[in-house]
Amino acid sequence: MPVDQAPARTAITASNVTRQYVGGTFTAVDDISMELRENEIVCFIGPSGCGKTTMLRMIAGLEYPSMGDLTIFGKPITGPGPDRGMIFQAYTSFPWLTARKNIEYGMKIMGLSRDERSRRSDEFLKLVHLDGFGDSYPASLSGGMKQRVAIARTLAQNPGVLLMDEPFGALDAQVRWEMQEMMIEIIERENTTVVTVTHDIQEAIYLSDRIIFFTRSPGRIKADIPVSFKEGRRIPRKEEMLALPGYVDLERQLFAMMREEIQQK
Amino acid sequence: MLRAAGRSGSGVIRLRKRDGEDANQIARRSLSLFELRTVLSGRTTLLLGLAGATGFFVIWEIGHYLTPEESQRFLPAPQEVLGALITLLVEKDYIADILKSCFRIFASFFAACLIAVPLGIAMGCFMRLRALLNPTISAFRYLPAASFIPLLLVWFGPTDTQKLALLVLGVIFFLVALILDNTKAVQPELIEAALTMGAGRRQVVTEVVVPAVAPAVVDSMRNMIAVGWTYLVIAEIVAASDGIGAVMMRAGRFLKVDIIMAGILTIGFLGVATDILFRLAARYAFPWNRERGD
Ligand SMILES: Nc1ncnc2c1ncn2[C@@H]1O[C@H](COP(=O)(O)OP(=O)(O)OP(=O)(O)O)[C@@H](O)[C@H]1O
Ligand SMILES: [Mg+2]
Repeated sequence: MPVDQAPARTAITASNVTRQYVGGTFTAVDDISMELRENEIVCFIGPSGCGKTTMLRMIAGLEYPSMGDLTIFGKPITGPGPDRGMIFQAYTSFPWLTARKNIEYGMKIMGLSRDERSRRSDEFLKLVHLDGFGDSYPASLSGGMKQRVAIARTLAQNPGVLLMDEPFGALDAQVRWEMQEMMIEIIERENTTVVTVTHDIQEAIYLSDRIIFFTRSPGRIKADIPVSFKEGRRIPRKEEMLALPGYVDLERQLFAMMREEIQQK
Repeated sequence: MLRAAGRSGSGVIRLRKRDGEDANQIARRSLSLFELRTVLSGRTTLLLGLAGATGFFVIWEIGHYLTPEESQRFLPAPQEVLGALITLLVEKDYIADILKSCFRIFASFFAACLIAVPLGIAMGCFMRLRALLNPTISAFRYLPAASFIPLLLVWFGPTDTQKLALLVLGVIFFLVALILDNTKAVQPELIEAALTMGAGRRQVVTEVVVPAVAPAVVDSMRNMIAVGWTYLVIAEIVAASDGIGAVMMRAGRFLKVDIIMAGILTIGFLGVATDILFRLAARYAFPWNRERGD
């Protein structure tokens, strides 16, 4: 487990990262510095419009900081790349490819052989519980299933870092819960470093080792909270976590912080 | 009030009968024309379409008999027009004119697509190219293509080239604009997802934008070829000796309204046939693009 092990490598650093829009008159992300360690699951949480997506997209290389620096494993981030897989809130499985071909697409870009692709796509279809749907087009899949295709496609590239922007935001409560447990299972297996954005406090606590709380716009870091009551464990069943001492206290603390941010004028 | 109550009553019954029945059966049971977004079976769609066409011919027929005797030849009955059409086909080598018109339409449309499709997609992908070309292309859209006829006649004479050029000019600017819009409408997350997977610029265009936009492009083509038929008649009315438009123009000189109408009917029929062809091609080429339950 990352917490007890020898010091993990640094995966991502942000130093004084600022992002402005509208010709510099609007600041979305304001002077954020952070250091994310390898194999850590970190969650960005904060009120709507506080810059979580902006921060995540800058790590993905889809946007650039107006000021400050971002690095991944010591190298500056200059653009998107397969070392940082990204899952979007909108469904991004390609509608013109079957589930299997979708999953193989990322591997194809990386130049994996046909045999390797087909072997790994089998494996990842199973991992996201879609075995039997390999030949279905996304149009005939449910929202949750489409999202699982996108997740499998990203994971099949074996990215060092997985970035997720409210990946389950469009799903109903029961599917969300299933997907959260599925993610824990996958992350544990694949040993991925994860940065995820969510509005859902319970989801943040369940998934992450560490929660970074953003202030209301302009986004700054309000608090950097280790989820210490889990003692570094990834818990396969959500109800087990709910029963742990310390869960309720953390949830209450986060709700209080959220209220503080929302009510501030 | 009473009627409204009855409506909603039958709605309730339909909902209850849903169990164990497919949506088509439910649709067939309801006879209202104005039900929102009902699922129709292929047969119902065909029957309704035929009913609409029959209604048109019935109204035409009635119109013919309501016309005073002495001017009835200006509004011949549908069967007279059909007769004229058959005479044209059997005795006047009308097939050759039809083939000529079809050649002009398809050749010019193919040429227009060859330029407009790649250009529209490229302008949708690359902002600098769009900024460079869009104002000029947009301006050309506002010039009526027919106003080029004198110029084209001077350049090419009354040749096939002149007609093809007019047809190309008639559709190409609209086609570029439509395909540019189609390309702009491609969900940006699809492109960003490909970028985060490590796709290069060329891959994003050929493996993401092109397949994503393809069904919309075929739709735009289907709509623009209809406009092409409009220009065909204009092209063939001016300085042409063959083609459907020329046949109609000649008939007009002798006040042969039945032949003019036979020409209109031919174009209508060919237009619908082209439309159906495009739809079938799209369905065949993009099996993934079905609505759920389609
Ligand atoms: N392209 C843009 N142009 C102008 N302003 C932008 C742009 N993108 C984001 N913003 C602004 O930056 C701020 C932060 O946006 P961001 O999407 O990062 O918020 P968020 O924390 O992800 O919100 P939510 O939780 O609602 O998704 C918002 O106020 C938004 O209006
Ligand atoms: Mg967001």
